[in-house]
Amino acid sequence: MITEINQSPLYSIANPKSIAFFGASNNFSAMGSNIFQSIFDLGFEGELYPVHPKEENVQGYKAYRDIMDLPVVPDLVIFVLPTRLICDTMEACGKKGIKHAIVVTAGFREVGGEGLALEEKLKGIAQKYGIRFAGPNCLGVVNTHKKLNTTFLNMEGKPGFIGLASQSGSLVTQMFNYLAELGVGFSTAFSIGNGASVDLVDCLEYLGACPDTKVIGMYVEGIDRGREFVEVARAVSLKKPIVALYVGGSETGRKATFSHTGSMAGPDKLYDGILRQSGVIRARSITELFDYCRILGELPVPQGNRIAIQTHSGGPGAAAADACGREGLELPNFPQETIDAISEFIPQTGSINNPVDLTYSKDQKAFFMGIPDALLRSDVVDMLLMYYLVPDRMLKEALGQIGNSEADDENQNMDVLNDYVAYMAQMLRQHKKPLVGFTFRNLSEIFPQALMANGIPIFSSPEQGVRALKSLVTYSRLNQKIQLQEKNLAS
Amino acid sequence: MDTQTLIDNAVENGQKALSEFDSKKILAAYGIPVSQEYLASDAKEAVQKAEEIGYPVVMKACSHEIAHKTEGGLVEISLNSTEEMKAAFERILTKTDTPLDGILVQEMVAGKRELMLGLVRDPQFGPCVMVGFGGIMTEIIKDTCFRMAPVDEIEALDMLEEFKSKDLLGPFRGNAPVDKKNLCNAISAIGKIGLENDDISEIDINPLIIRSDGTFAAVDALIVIGRGTK
Repeated sequence: MITEINQSPLYSIANPKSIAFFGASNNFSAMGSNIFQSIFDLGFEGELYPVHPKEENVQGYKAYRDIMDLPVVPDLVIFVLPTRLICDTMEACGKKGIKHAIVVTAGFREVGGEGLALEEKLKGIAQKYGIRFAGPNCLGVVNTHKKLNTTFLNMEGKPGFIGLASQSGSLVTQMFNYLAELGVGFSTAFSIGNGASVDLVDCLEYLGACPDTKVIGMYVEGIDRGREFVEVARAVSLKKPIVALYVGGSETGRKATFSHTGSMAGPDKLYDGILRQSGVIRARSITELFDYCRILGELPVPQGNRIAIQTHSGGPGAAAADACGREGLELPNFPQETIDAISEFIPQTGSINNPVDLTYSKDQKAFFMGIPDALLRSDVVDMLLMYYLVPDRMLKEALGQIGNSEADDENQNMDVLNDYVAYMAQMLRQHKKPLVGFTFRNLSEIFPQALMANGIPIFSSPEQGVRALKSLVTYSRLNQKIQLQEKNLAS
Repeated sequence: MDTQTLIDNAVENGQKALSEFDSKKILAAYGIPVSQEYLASDAKEAVQKAEEIGYPVVMKACSHEIAHKTEGGLVEISLNSTEEMKAAFERILTKTDTPLDGILVQEMVAGKRELMLGLVRDPQFGPCVMVGFGGIMTEIIKDTCFRMAPVDEIEALDMLEEFKSKDLLGPFRGNAPVDKKNLCNAISAIGKIGLENDDISEIDINPLIIRSDGTFAAVDALIVIGRGTK
């Protein structure tokens, strides 16, 4: 296991200071040109050396006829070339002394037939020159903290804390905008394609050691180095959470079996158990993968599975309580001191039981400050889920109510809103208990955006919020189990 | 014959599997409780062994070539007397042409709860252990959990925790909870067999019957011979 990212074969792939590029031209419809553009669009700070047989310059960068003509040995080479040219070009780069590559080009193992032999040939050439490469059939890497984006889409949003290792290119490149709206982003995301040289296990080791990465997401179609995967994942999961979306079916070499056990060992059931053994939390959808990543990256681990639900509407609160029942989260009864602390805020028509239901909140300050604070303070509460409905109009009325006569003034509106948000963020730090919200309002509205920007995850349904909270509980349990096992092994 | 020789001989003979009797010898050598049983070569010996075990008993055709006995009518249960033993013996012999190692005379393990334990080899993960809902409904209920070997006691407990039918293992209709520690040991042992014997490719224990006092025994077992991928 590596302890620093610079010990990883992926280091120069994710942190190059100079890049040679095959396949970019001044024809902007070509994929290579698009990828080249993504690199300088994000403001890559290293050197870029396009190699082109005819052009003098490519998109404003001096072009080189031959890799041998480059003034330096670049840290990384990217290939977006026709399949038939890859092996020879890799050979030439090997002679130049380049040690790291991204092979975007497809047409290898994934197409079967001659592609299998071609991939073996490519691996052979790489081995001869000591080259480690991502791909083939991949989109490479996004390292937001180093302004590197080798995918064909523009990076949107801010640098974030989600590390990703993906056997699908789309999950890396097509999630920028989705994650940005949820107030999160990638630290480093790898699309490894066929994984001929670097694979999921290498990514896991890298991301485990990566200081910008708080949580690791994986998109898995099949794991090749199974036993190494389990060992590395268990070790990494003690440092940071790992979430995997497994969509099975691509394993090769599965044999016909003779026993009943064999006939029941479908890959889905097998991966289900082995991911759990590896300390990896399994997500069931792409949405869930990133829901889990953001909550696990943002929030502290709860001490137990007891949850308080706060709502100002019966239905969503009851639906949340119902989801808790399905997920094994417990709704405790509140002790007298908690009841005393919140009862002043609850109208006659409301409920002081769990879920706490205000039915209608006149006093926004109580809803976002007084009540959650008292609930998080309670010894029987390990985490809090809040349903809220704050359309912009209500926000303005509320501001007027607390004596802000200039409530129409956008700036002052924002100040008061920021006070709520800051208070909630402060509660999170003070109580060290998970706090999430859910709403059916659009998450692009001002209030959810402000909450999410301050590290409070907001979800679009009670079920999503509850399942995300459950992933925190699962992480804590898997972690404790592995720690106990390690302790037993040591003694 | 020690277990290694048993396996080596099976490989040398080109056997696809071990007989139930031999399979259980391997399991017992790894500490997995198995039903008390003897291999009898004729009806007289079968009766004699039944009296040693105590009625009621079970009789089964025993051969490494017969993997699934119930379907072939090669299992006779609840035999209570010499006469019943003799008649059952004859019935089994008329139902198969396969050369038999003998007739297995077995204690009839009484219990309402049935589990299945197993081993399978995955090309990527190597030997993997399974625990599941047992009996003839196994493939209908499909309640199984898998882990990669080795599986320690903590991991085995976690498998039982993940098991949907886990309430079977607690107190159940007047039956004592299962001896969990021993069950975990049995699960670990399956993984150990997989790790230590490359020539064993798969194992089925089905059913593993839990007695009303919480003890249990492997009542039927199949060890499949074949080089694993890892």
